Amino acid sequence: MKKYALLPFNFTRLSGKEVLINELGDMLISPIGTVQKIVDHTLDDEDLYKTLVANSFISEELLPTLLDIYASRLRLKKSFLDDRAALHIFVLTLRCNQNCVYCQASSREEGSAHCSMTFDMMEASVKLMFRSTSQHLTMEFQGGEPSLEPKLIKFGIEKAEEINQTECRNLSYVLCTNCRSLSDELLELCRQYHVLISTSLDGPSYIHNKNRGREDSYEKTMAGICKAREVLGNDAVSALMTTSELALGYPKEIVDEYVQDGFTDIFLRALNPYGLATENENWDLYNERFVEFYKTALDYIIEINKQGTFFREVYAAIILRKMLTPYTTGFVDLQSPAGTVNSVLIYNYDGYVYASDESRMLAENGDHTFRLGRISDKYEEIVYGEKVRKIGKVWANEALAGCSDCPVKAYCGADPVRHHSTQGDMYGFRPSSFVCKKNKAIIEHLISLIIEREDEVMPIFRSWLR
Amino acid sequence: MTLQIDRKIYPDSCISKVVYWLSDQYTIDRCLEGNNEIITIEGVTNEQLFKKMFFEKLNDFKLREVINAETKDIRTILYAKAFGDFDDITEEEITE
Repeated sequence: MKKYALLPFNFTRLSGKEVLINELGDMLISPIGTVQKIVDHTLDDEDLYKTLVANSFISEELLPTLLDIYASRLRLKKSFLDDRAALHIFVLTLRCNQNCVYCQASSREEGSAHCSMTFDMMEASVKLMFRSTSQHLTMEFQGGEPSLEPKLIKFGIEKAEEINQTECRNLSYVLCTNCRSLSDELLELCRQYHVLISTSLDGPSYIHNKNRGREDSYEKTMAGICKAREVLGNDAVSALMTTSELALGYPKEIVDEYVQDGFTDIFLRALNPYGLATENENWDLYNERFVEFYKTALDYIIEINKQGTFFREVYAAIILRKMLTPYTTGFVDLQSPAGTVNSVLIYNYDGYVYASDESRMLAENGDHTFRLGRISDKYEEIVYGEKVRKIGKVWANEALAGCSDCPVKAYCGADPVRHHSTQGDMYGFRPSSFVCKKNKAIIEHLISLIIEREDEVMPIFRSWLR
Repeated sequence: MTLQIDRKIYPDSCISKVVYWLSDQYTIDRCLEGNNEIITIEGVTNEQLFKKMFFEKLNDFKLREVINAETKDIRTILYAKAFGDFDDITEEEITE
């Protein structure tokens, strides 16, 4: 073998193999002992040597000829930073027409007063959104239940369209709704401005109704989904599920429900420790059970795909995109530097701007740590202010204890808000971190599937990335 | 249980990383005696398994440290090229 220099990489051991992962997130599966041989310069396998050179784990020159390309690829992996915040969440109201048992948003009764955004706040928020330099701006309407404030939605969209006459950005709209109150007028507005509907469906009626605290919830949601599909088309309606403790026992039934309802993907989301969900008694146990639930459901989804039905698990697809392509994702929970502020800003009904959706949920429990400023404040004071500078010290996993040495950090992200919420410290302590345990378990499971069942899973995984 | 670790073989940085990852499950006390570090761990039920696991982690962190030390300069250049305005770095400048 020629003399060579090492390039930055890390490694782990899974399923009887050594998994080498470089700075770009490129992965190489090799026999146990490979890393020791690389470090000792005792590589004796010509093919392995060539593979290591070709995949930028070692270099025959001290300064690799392809370093500029390597640097361009690294820049591409972090390109979400170029755009600044593209996702702008407008929390229109805390009013809601459901009683979800795990409500993370601290929603209030439908008739409650003083918990909705004013029109002036909406106008100021829209103007603030346009201060972001991103060419793509997504206005996402959330609550409570935002469809209870249809006039505010209309006003917000029309204001954005008006400003965009001169700004010329790519605007898109998402309405996060439980689909109980989708009026004809609201759907017409959605049709006119191509508003996407993101609804919540937790699975079959016996899970959904229990989670949502109403016996007719499943029926109403399904009716709303059908109505929205008729007006907007199937592709304009997507659904999310949240894995309550009850749901943990029904992975296959939940997947079946989504397939039967005509959805082509599912996002298997764990409960987050905000709002009512904080009352969950044993998060350690929940976390362990969620990972098992996830693995069972994913295995079942792979079987469904093998039988010829395209059906994607979104969380896996996000991780696989980071693992198997040169590109990044817009998913704010798995970014480093964190999606907090960098990719998302929240304009809350209370007149304040928050660093993330979870930040405003914390605020409902009196924790204003991630409140960045008033909607009426200057953009620069909000996104470059003292609070953001403080968060910025702990939002890159390349510089966090436990993360910086983690072999799978390229596929994961930093989450100062979650660590503040669960550990009382936004820096976070990785050995007992739920975020770390969950993400690492899922990422390692995906790598193990690729090692153990490559021929079977890779065509499916690649189809999820198209 | 007690472990004795030769600090000429395993530096503090590697031992600290292993201790960090185990510190949510065990109470760990560290004491330096000459070139040896004496590590006392409370809460271990299977000492043989624990020792195996501890040294596996330690060896892995040592390997990572070798890789990191050897690639520190190239990583710096890589990040500078990716996110800065340094397009004219030469091989001579690295070896200096």
